[in-house]
Amino acid sequence: MTTMTGGLPPPAPTPLFFRRGFRNLLAQGVYVGVTALVIFYVVQALGGREYGFGFLNQPAAFDVGNQWLINVDGTTNTRFTMYLVGIWATARVVMVTLLLSTVLGVAVGVARLSPNWLLSKMAMLFVEIFRNMPLFVQIVLWYAIVLFGLPQIQNALDLGDTFFLSNRGIAVPWPEPDGGLYGGPEWLTAVWAAAVAAAAVAAWFVRRRRQELERETGQPHYPNRWGIRLFAGGALVSFLALGLPLTIDVPVLSGTDYAEGLTLRPEFTALTLGLTIYTASFIAEIVRASIQALPKGQTEAANAIGLSGYQRLTLVILPQALRQMIPSVTNQYLNASKNSSLAYGVSYADLFFVANIIQNKIGHAVEVFALIIVTYMLMSLAISVVMNFLNSRLTLTRV
Amino acid sequence: MTEPVAGARKVVLPPHRVRAQRPLGTRAREWTRENLFPSPAQAVVTLLALAFATAIVALAVYLVLAAEWRVITVNRWLLFAGGFPQDQEWRLWVSVALVFPLIGAAFGLWASLGRRDLLFMALAAGFLFFLARHGDAGWASTVWVAGSLALFFAGYLVCRLVPREPGRARSIATWTAGGALALALPAVLAVLMAAGGARTNEFSGFMMNLILAPVGIAGGLLLAIPLAVGRASSLRAVSWTCTAYIELIRGAPLIGWLFVALFILEDVIAGDLIVRTMVVLAVFTSAYIAEYIRGGLQALPHGQTEAAQAVGLGRTRTLQLVVLPQALRISIPPIVGQAISLWKDTALISAILPLRELVGNSKAAIAQPEFIENRIEVYVFAAVLFWIVAFVMSRVSQRMERSLGIGER
Amino acid sequence: MTRKRWALAAATAMAVIALLAAACGGDGNGEEGGGTLQTVLDRGELKCGVTDSLPGFGFKDPNSVYSGFDIEFCKAIAAAVLGDAEQVQYVPASSQARFELLASGEVDILVRVTTITAQRDVSRGVDFAQTTFYDGQGFVVHADSDIRTAEDMAGTTICVAAGTTTEQNLDDFFNARGLAYTPLQGDWPDPQDQFLERRCDVLTSDKSGLAARISALPNPEDYRFLPLTISKEPLAPGVRDGDTRWKDVVNWVVYGLINAEELGVTRDNVAAMAADPPNAAVARLLGEPFKGSEVADLGFGVDAQFIQRALMAVGNYGDIYARTIEQLGITRAGTLNALYTEGGILYAPPYR
Repeated sequence: MTTMTGGLPPPAPTPLFFRRGFRNLLAQGVYVGVTALVIFYVVQALGGREYGFGFLNQPAAFDVGNQWLINVDGTTNTRFTMYLVGIWATARVVMVTLLLSTVLGVAVGVARLSPNWLLSKMAMLFVEIFRNMPLFVQIVLWYAIVLFGLPQIQNALDLGDTFFLSNRGIAVPWPEPDGGLYGGPEWLTAVWAAAVAAAAVAAWFVRRRRQELERETGQPHYPNRWGIRLFAGGALVSFLALGLPLTIDVPVLSGTDYAEGLTLRPEFTALTLGLTIYTASFIAEIVRASIQALPKGQTEAANAIGLSGYQRLTLVILPQALRQMIPSVTNQYLNASKNSSLAYGVSYADLFFVANIIQNKIGHAVEVFALIIVTYMLMSLAISVVMNFLNSRLTLTRV
Repeated sequence: MTEPVAGARKVVLPPHRVRAQRPLGTRAREWTRENLFPSPAQAVVTLLALAFATAIVALAVYLVLAAEWRVITVNRWLLFAGGFPQDQEWRLWVSVALVFPLIGAAFGLWASLGRRDLLFMALAAGFLFFLARHGDAGWASTVWVAGSLALFFAGYLVCRLVPREPGRARSIATWTAGGALALALPAVLAVLMAAGGARTNEFSGFMMNLILAPVGIAGGLLLAIPLAVGRASSLRAVSWTCTAYIELIRGAPLIGWLFVALFILEDVIAGDLIVRTMVVLAVFTSAYIAEYIRGGLQALPHGQTEAAQAVGLGRTRTLQLVVLPQALRISIPPIVGQAISLWKDTALISAILPLRELVGNSKAAIAQPEFIENRIEVYVFAAVLFWIVAFVMSRVSQRMERSLGIGER
Repeated sequence: MTRKRWALAAATAMAVIALLAAACGGDGNGEEGGGTLQTVLDRGELKCGVTDSLPGFGFKDPNSVYSGFDIEFCKAIAAAVLGDAEQVQYVPASSQARFELLASGEVDILVRVTTITAQRDVSRGVDFAQTTFYDGQGFVVHADSDIRTAEDMAGTTICVAAGTTTEQNLDDFFNARGLAYTPLQGDWPDPQDQFLERRCDVLTSDKSGLAARISALPNPEDYRFLPLTISKEPLAPGVRDGDTRWKDVVNWVVYGLINAEELGVTRDNVAAMAADPPNAAVARLLGEPFKGSEVADLGFGVDAQFIQRALMAVGNYGDIYARTIEQLGITRAGTLNALYTEGGILYAPPYR
């Protein structure tokens, strides 16, 4: 023991092993080592296979049915082209699903909170039933219902020679590019599309300008109204000026299938229906929770200034709830995009289905899976980017 | 109610009691006006909804009655147990008798059966009874269905007797039930497999779903805790690898990972395909649960850690005693949500793998030329079975959320 | 900072678990030492990859009992190798997953209406044994359909199983004729179901399989075959690449059953023939001594009476055919699957 003369004894240097920095370093070293060992083991275990992506460039030797706007056959096209066809099929389903499930989900979520007892209970039933059933079974069931429940093609339901309903699909009229009244070339449609886009851009700028004016002067300048007027007017005027460069193709029955028009095939219908309803049941719960999380004063204030129920919902409640629900809804969008792979259950040739066929023909499972996971990750990334952009716009402007 | 007796002090009842005392007819009328016809617009909505609901119910009743349920009764064994050795049937019933009272106990301890639950359950049970008594099914299945339900309610009622307030009785009950639940899976597997029972590759039908989902959830939870803590770690190497792992797993849908189990994992993990499937389910679930636990970790106020360190707890003890228990508590509802999700996901195992769970055997049932027309019945039956279990789980989770006071604002 | 050590311990534990799992794993293909034959003998059970939804070939009934032409061959091989035709575990192998099941050791043998192709032989890790059934791709339409020739199929929708040779033949066939068609590939939804509901106009598959499926339906007369055979589909059992011992056993069980038919040995008379072989060829086939001669062990790795056991269990090729495929009303006489002595091409090498 030292004498108590003054000050503490100089601290003994901590042994190297007990120094925090050293131990952190050591720990990371051990961790990295073990992880490397595991990875090495996996690589070595998978090392007995032949690798290479060359197989993607060989002729596909199979064809897929559900093509839209494209026509790709298996003899002259490579496996990779077929995979792209699969990606396009997935993209179609995902886009339609996200759109429809948002609309349905918001509707059901709002109905769930309706003062109307019956409506609210029906919304609850919808959520409880569809949220708790496996999506795969739902899709397979919808397919069975569509295939079995709809009339066969020879007895197709004909609604005024415009819509047809059978288990070959639902045929609806669809716009087709056309030369228009003056018999011009088909690219007139593209010109019109460009004119519409230009009108949209112009409308956007006018709306912005009027919004600014409104803020500066405090006088109403009706930005939305003028924006819409400009857009609609531009689209209509250019449509007329170009001589109606678009016809509506009405479907007709030909032989045992439809011709012209747009046919929603049972596979697509069942998959989209199942995905939409399932995703909507989750979105409905998110919408309900976000609305319930709003302070009660918001509703009361809206009532106090005399807004109608509809105005209260669209002007006060939903815009605020929207901000809260975007992260959760994004999650559901990501789930829905990945769940589209359940197309397998209805033989809809999406990217996973096509990848599976390719794997079955040639093997190379590791490469095929790499392709699958990269595609899904890119798709998730795209959805996240769009939703984050939306989120930042919604939270940045007017809080 | 009795008329006030002359001379007795007049009791002034609060308004809601006064309202409650009016005749039933008046109250019903008032309720209807307030909840169904408050305004002309609402009345239109109500009538439309009523028409829609009536149509749906009528259609459902018609379908149930018109459907040919013989495909289910004939294929009972195929759907529920598939390749399970038929002479070992008693093992299945013993397992059911083990598990049902436990589920009832969980309900009794952490939740309660509301009117809505009872309504749903009565519907489901009615459907099961309808099937059990339909066609050439013997009495045995009806008795077993009734017995299982009775055991469920026995477990529920016994646990309802336990007081709700924290105390000795409650903590004993909680630990007993929790322990029993944790041991249920190994116990059931032992009952099914021990001493000349089934082999893993003989699991099939609905019982395969019932086994795979708990294995996946338990394995996923065990993997997820270190993953979550690792991702939140300040050690770069650890957090990066954990993040990479989580994002990779979440990158592809489960059906893709089943593809891996079948076509790639054979070189990495030996054993039966069902073992690889269990690994894949656990790994897949772990990535999602880890994210929920991480959410729980992030939701904890920093003061918790600081306070723990102020009272002299070390880093490990802080994590073990302060941080993890609270983080896990917060993340229980989403973890149960993930469990439900995995339960539903077991339905797509047969789509890719040559294992035959309920949906796979449903498909085998409708491959029989006799039942080729009964597709919808079989899949509806499968959907209802999945739904019952998922619904029970979601109910327990909602009640738990309320009783733990999570998510209250 | 506080979570570091915990994280570390956890991470290490995970890594160790992964390593252990991996180490316990090793490669479990059962390829060490004796190959599949030894694995089967050690296990006491044959894992047979089959189809479970094709009446006549491989089909699972409500009690999970399998039956069919392919199933009989599984039984024959189990009886030959293990002495018990019931020691078979049937693994339902979808057309998409079958080769991986074989390659990964999940099944010992694939008897699942699988066509021999060069690509499968070379790049899918499968080695084909003797063809058990010679088939060709055919087409079925609804009886009231207008389709009668190949050209009539232009522009129609055709149901086909995904991941099969039929899918590929279809593409070749139509492209060679410059005809357009829309395929509807099914794996989970059965192409047959889609056809029955008229989701497609034509169902295509191996002819015998089609015939078996159609005749199992309640109203087979509502469907009509097109007089077209667009491919050769020799269906053969598959074994893992490079396992010649096992392939030899499988091959000679198949040859043995064909030879037995040629020699007149059936399930009913095999016991009597074994007790008193009529000639040397039968004696050799059944592994019995003939007029005091020694029984030669040819070195298959199983004893000399393995074909005899297979015959006792399932009978000869003709017996199997009669019990399974002919049951569905598909005759054998005059087809490729008759013995060469009866105008077919079943010609097994001599067992000697």
